[in-house]
Amino acid sequence: MSQTTLLEVKNLRKTYDDGFEAVKGVSFNVKKGEVFGILGPNGAGKTTTLEMIEGMRPITSGAAMLDGIDVQKHPYAVKERIGVQLQSSSFFPNLSLVELLRLFSDLYAESTNAMELLREVGLEEKAKAQVKELSGGQKQRFSIATTLVNNPVAVFLDEPTTGLDPQARRNLWDLVQQIQKKGTTVIITTHYMEEAQVLCDRVAIMDEGQVIALDTPDNLIKQLLDRGFKPQTKVAPATLEDVFIDLTGKELRD
Amino acid sequence: MNRTLTSLWSLTIASTKMYFRNKSAVFFTLFLPLAFIGVFGLLSQSGTSSFTLDVTNHSSTTLAKNVVSALGKVSAFKVNEVSEADGATQLGKGKADLQVIIPADFGQVDPATHRVKATKIITHYNAGKPQNGQAANLVLGQIVAGINDQVTQAPQIISLDSNGVKTNNLGTIDFLLPGILAMSIMQLGIFSVAFAFVSMKTTGMLRRIQATPTHPLNFVVAQGVTRLLIGLLQVVLLTVLGVWFFGFHMLGNWLTFLLMAILGTLVFLGFGFTVAGWAKDENQAAPIANIFSFPMLFLSGIFFPRDAFPDWLKRITDFFPLTYLADAFRSIANEGAHITQLGGDILGLVVWGLIMFAVAVKVFKWE
Repeated sequence: MSQTTLLEVKNLRKTYDDGFEAVKGVSFNVKKGEVFGILGPNGAGKTTTLEMIEGMRPITSGAAMLDGIDVQKHPYAVKERIGVQLQSSSFFPNLSLVELLRLFSDLYAESTNAMELLREVGLEEKAKAQVKELSGGQKQRFSIATTLVNNPVAVFLDEPTTGLDPQARRNLWDLVQQIQKKGTTVIITTHYMEEAQVLCDRVAIMDEGQVIALDTPDNLIKQLLDRGFKPQTKVAPATLEDVFIDLTGKELRD
Repeated sequence: MNRTLTSLWSLTIASTKMYFRNKSAVFFTLFLPLAFIGVFGLLSQSGTSSFTLDVTNHSSTTLAKNVVSALGKVSAFKVNEVSEADGATQLGKGKADLQVIIPADFGQVDPATHRVKATKIITHYNAGKPQNGQAANLVLGQIVAGINDQVTQAPQIISLDSNGVKTNNLGTIDFLLPGILAMSIMQLGIFSVAFAFVSMKTTGMLRRIQATPTHPLNFVVAQGVTRLLIGLLQVVLLTVLGVWFFGFHMLGNWLTFLLMAILGTLVFLGFGFTVAGWAKDENQAAPIANIFSFPMLFLSGIFFPRDAFPDWLKRITDFFPLTYLADAFRSIANEGAHITQLGGDILGLVVWGLIMFAVAVKVFKWE
């Protein structure tokens, strides 16, 4: 993995009009080609942080530089280079998946092969279907496909697996790893820890608008154990989810 | 620049597709006005005055039969042969305009004089609708006089020479169709934009566009362009059908008519975007859209002329944008008004358009 920095976030703050401080001075770097996780409970400020980096929300103070471009000064130049999946993703009604992907390509003035992209996310046979006919997992995969139309340097995925069944979740992990293999940087938020452990090269843990820890998952666990942490219950060699996956299989159910 | 055009074009195509694939939108903008015009068109056609005559013939003479067949040949009469009692009942119910009774001795020859006996045809008419009864009586009187002349062979001194002339008789449809067109344009501008746009807001679609390098303003423009095209389609379709099937008269210039349609759509898009921009969700959009459209629907002279209004109400409704649009359509279609004669209506619409777009910009919220 190359060590060049793709995204530099410095002391980012967001104070809303009503005085609420959602993000209180967040700093981190994301390296080119890595999967970077932002973890934290609901209301920790993950989404607000992402939206400021994506050029979708005004920055109160601090700075975010993507590929050397200042987001605050050139939000549109940043938007051209990234792909964004929003937490609650919804699409135009009455349009098919192919039509939507072509529309999104046009919004970037790119000529993308829509069918090729659908094949990449495993939705080739659904090309003529509408988003409302898709299952939860398919919807998220389609949503990720729309972030790839401009061949972005980085994609931002905001809780892509929330509400999905274990099979669909694992399927989405495969897709994220596939995107990473093609050299695209992935910034992902989640509140599933095992997901972060599987996918992320490094994670930042946020709470109450601040980053309270930042390292590789292994190092974070090691640091915890070094502090003398003992799991309260005996660690089972397998989890209930392992049982579930073993019994129901890994194939997608959508 | 290139991207702006590409995305604008693509968004317009997408908006158009979404519109025509939305069955309820198509129903409300194209079929509902069509149904309105169809229903009102048929009603106004059946309104051509014809009189129902219930005839009871007690006589068996040739003369009596001639009278009845002469009545049947009058195109303004619908003749039913009934018994005297039934005729009275029908008249009482208001289902007949005139009851005609031919007595048994009608047309009988007096054996003593060998001449036709003097006799009377008795008519009863509905005193509640005297004009119908009297008009029918007049025509009946003509027929009776004609038969009298035949029987008495009196020389004709005065005769009537009446000729049918083709005129541009303006009917109910000529009043209604321009009004319904103006109404449809208002509904299209206000409702279709307000609801489509607000749902883009609530579902997060607008946010998703904001995440791309295309400014969501492009989407606003695309929605407007789509509505303009649909507005034009509406006008052409309804007017052409009106001319073909309902005898609508288009005395003015089609181009002027279409230009007014475009101006009208723009003005009501201003209303639509004000509602769409201000409202957070459909529950906020619906009442505001109705507050705008309802008074205009009833007070702009769409279904009935404003002449019946008290003076003060007429003064106020003079300034409604829908009044300007409906009046302009009527002036063009009914009077053949040239665009230079529509100055007042055009000025009124332009002022409304400027006001509403300024308000829309002021209250617009992307979220």
